[in-house]
Amino acid sequence: MSRGRWLALIGVLCAAGAVGYLALAALDPSPVTTKARPPGATGPPTGLAGSRLMVRAVARKDPGLNGHLFVIKRGRPRALEGDLACARVHFAAGRGLCLSTAPSGVSYEATIFGADLEPVERLSLAGLPSRARVSPNGRYGAMTVFVNGHEYLGAGGFSTRTSIVDMRDGGELGELEEFDVFKAGRRLESPDFNFWGITFAADPDRFYATLRTGGRHYLVEGSVSRRRLRVLRDGVECPSLSPDGSRIAFKSRIPGEDLWRLAVLDVATLADHPVGERRSIDDQPEWLDDGTLVYSDGFDVFTVAADGSGSPRRVLRDATSPVALDLNL
Amino acid sequence: MYQVEASKALLKPRGWATSAARLSVPRNVVLLGTVSMLTDISAEMVATVLPLYLVFSLGVTPLALGAIDGLYRGAAAIVQIGGGLLSDRLQRHKEVATVGYGLSALTKVGLVVAGTSVGGIGALVAADRIGKGIRTAPRDALISLSSTKAGLATAFGVHRAMDSFGAMLGPLFAFGVLLAAPARFDAVFVVSTAFAFLGLAVLVLAVRGRPGRAVAVTVDSLPSLRASLGTARDPRFRLLLVAAGGLALASVSDALIYVGLQRQSGFEPTVFPLLFVVTAFAFMALAIPVGRLADRIGRAPVLLAGHALLLPVYGLLLSPVGTAGVFLCLLALGAYFAATEGVTTALAGAILPDRLQATGIGMLITVVSLGKLGSSLAFGALWFALGLQSAVLLFAAALAVALMVATPLLLRLQREQAA
Repeated sequence: MSRGRWLALIGVLCAAGAVGYLALAALDPSPVTTKARPPGATGPPTGLAGSRLMVRAVARKDPGLNGHLFVIKRGRPRALEGDLACARVHFAAGRGLCLSTAPSGVSYEATIFGADLEPVERLSLAGLPSRARVSPNGRYGAMTVFVNGHEYLGAGGFSTRTSIVDMRDGGELGELEEFDVFKAGRRLESPDFNFWGITFAADPDRFYATLRTGGRHYLVEGSVSRRRLRVLRDGVECPSLSPDGSRIAFKSRIPGEDLWRLAVLDVATLADHPVGERRSIDDQPEWLDDGTLVYSDGFDVFTVAADGSGSPRRVLRDATSPVALDLNL
Repeated sequence: MYQVEASKALLKPRGWATSAARLSVPRNVVLLGTVSMLTDISAEMVATVLPLYLVFSLGVTPLALGAIDGLYRGAAAIVQIGGGLLSDRLQRHKEVATVGYGLSALTKVGLVVAGTSVGGIGALVAADRIGKGIRTAPRDALISLSSTKAGLATAFGVHRAMDSFGAMLGPLFAFGVLLAAPARFDAVFVVSTAFAFLGLAVLVLAVRGRPGRAVAVTVDSLPSLRASLGTARDPRFRLLLVAAGGLALASVSDALIYVGLQRQSGFEPTVFPLLFVVTAFAFMALAIPVGRLADRIGRAPVLLAGHALLLPVYGLLLSPVGTAGVFLCLLALGAYFAATEGVTTALAGAILPDRLQATGIGMLITVVSLGKLGSSLAFGALWFALGLQSAVLLFAAALAVALMVATPLLLRLQREQAA
């Protein structure tokens, strides 16, 4: 066979393979509800009421299931009603925030949804979803995304954008890069500011977040209405305030590496202690109750005691982004 | 040459081929451009969706790849020189380039097969970078050896235009696949694999390994390692290395220029990908005409004028700009790429002896990329310490000095060549 023939043959094979596979993928009827069932789940899709924990599925082998939400109800995983598929999700007091790919597939959007899991509002996002949080009273939402293009500015080589929205109508209330930052009473300014991982207090005007600048990771306390941030201490990423407001769970960076230990600090003294999880965890932890943290290692969901005792317990496989739900929904 | 005819019918580069014939660009160059275009479509499809895939399907952040990426950026520079040296030592540019393209094509298969392990993806990204490092110098040597010395800049212009066209198509194809099959990243990887192997097939089956000026291989004609490394001692080539390296050190990377524009005009970061598209489009449209101009009036003045285009770009970064300013800035940036990317390599191709083309081009690419890396780090540090305006002013001064030093060097080079 001549070279030309070979080239023609390879061309036809490549084209047929690519088009055939794409056609099969496009015609696959399973993407949403039919197959969206976590391992071990039983029964038809359910609502949020009566559930303790909501998570998103990570199914490496099953693209149709990825990002779909399910809950733990009476100790068993159950698929949730609705079509939401999220990269990050959070929910509180009847309002949820789901960060996901837009229908186009290559841009991103945030969906505000209600207790019935139906979308209320859609917002476009500037980059890849990283963190989502809703204030305990359901009024404010916060989201962090990765933005491309700033690569060479920060020592760690990435840039984030964190904004706060009104969960009733999706209106933007502020972007942390526009807030004034104070450290020990003095104004702090630098082009290398990066913010991420907001957590709200019971009064959602007050919140905590991470500010990275000059290679440090500060815990900052902020006010939405005054558009101000105050540096509290160093070495705190992805803070998460306990329901009683007395402690903050966070990830504590192992110096010089992209590895983190989970720890809890006391809001009054800012002193911290590690928890019983000894592996590196890259997640914004969530409080299941005042004594227990829930988090994901990227594969499965675990709980661990907040006081540093005991060891982690795997509560669910193939899931991330755990959200503790109010029982009195 | 019937095999080229057959490939033409298959790949529909008829438009390319006819316009190439009008430009009298050798077929081998157009075929190499086709290989690069197909490979870039493949690579950009993956690059577009990889961060999203990591977050959405694997539940990790792109940071998981960050450390690996930084590590292999340094390794890629060494591999580039190594690929060039080996290619000249054996006088087998096509075979060495095939290894590089083949390695990258295999990483796409790897993503399909083993795309669910984060460590595996890291290793595949690294292998892809190494493949790119291996192939660049022998590929450019083949382009150079396929052309006449008088048409070098046009040849590189055609290649870079096709390359840049592929880089623009890649994200669009990824977009199309995900639109047809939402969240099916595996389909993106499969289509990307098909493009990679198509490119590899064109290289293996259609590109000629011993084009026009290629050296007839006898054992005696193979350059020794000493002779290869001696390339850097040729005073004319050394002039070029110094001039190109110095200019690269004073050139702010496009990524940083986009960030600066964002600060000065306040557009949404969502617009970033669009900035890249406009610049790439200008680069693609101008690469061929600017290459022809360089062949006609001389490569040195075009290269210098290209770098001088950065001065108005820096100027626009000094104060708030409107949409028209941003657009002008991107056009100037695209023209800068068109007047520097291929033209620098063409200058090297004209100076270097035929049997040391890959070695020299490998060295030049490495010097320029290290210069650009250094400039990015310096600009970032200056921005952090002194603010955007001062950093831009300092870089404008540095560029003016670099141009003043490089102009007599490069013009002397051109006179010596003419003589």
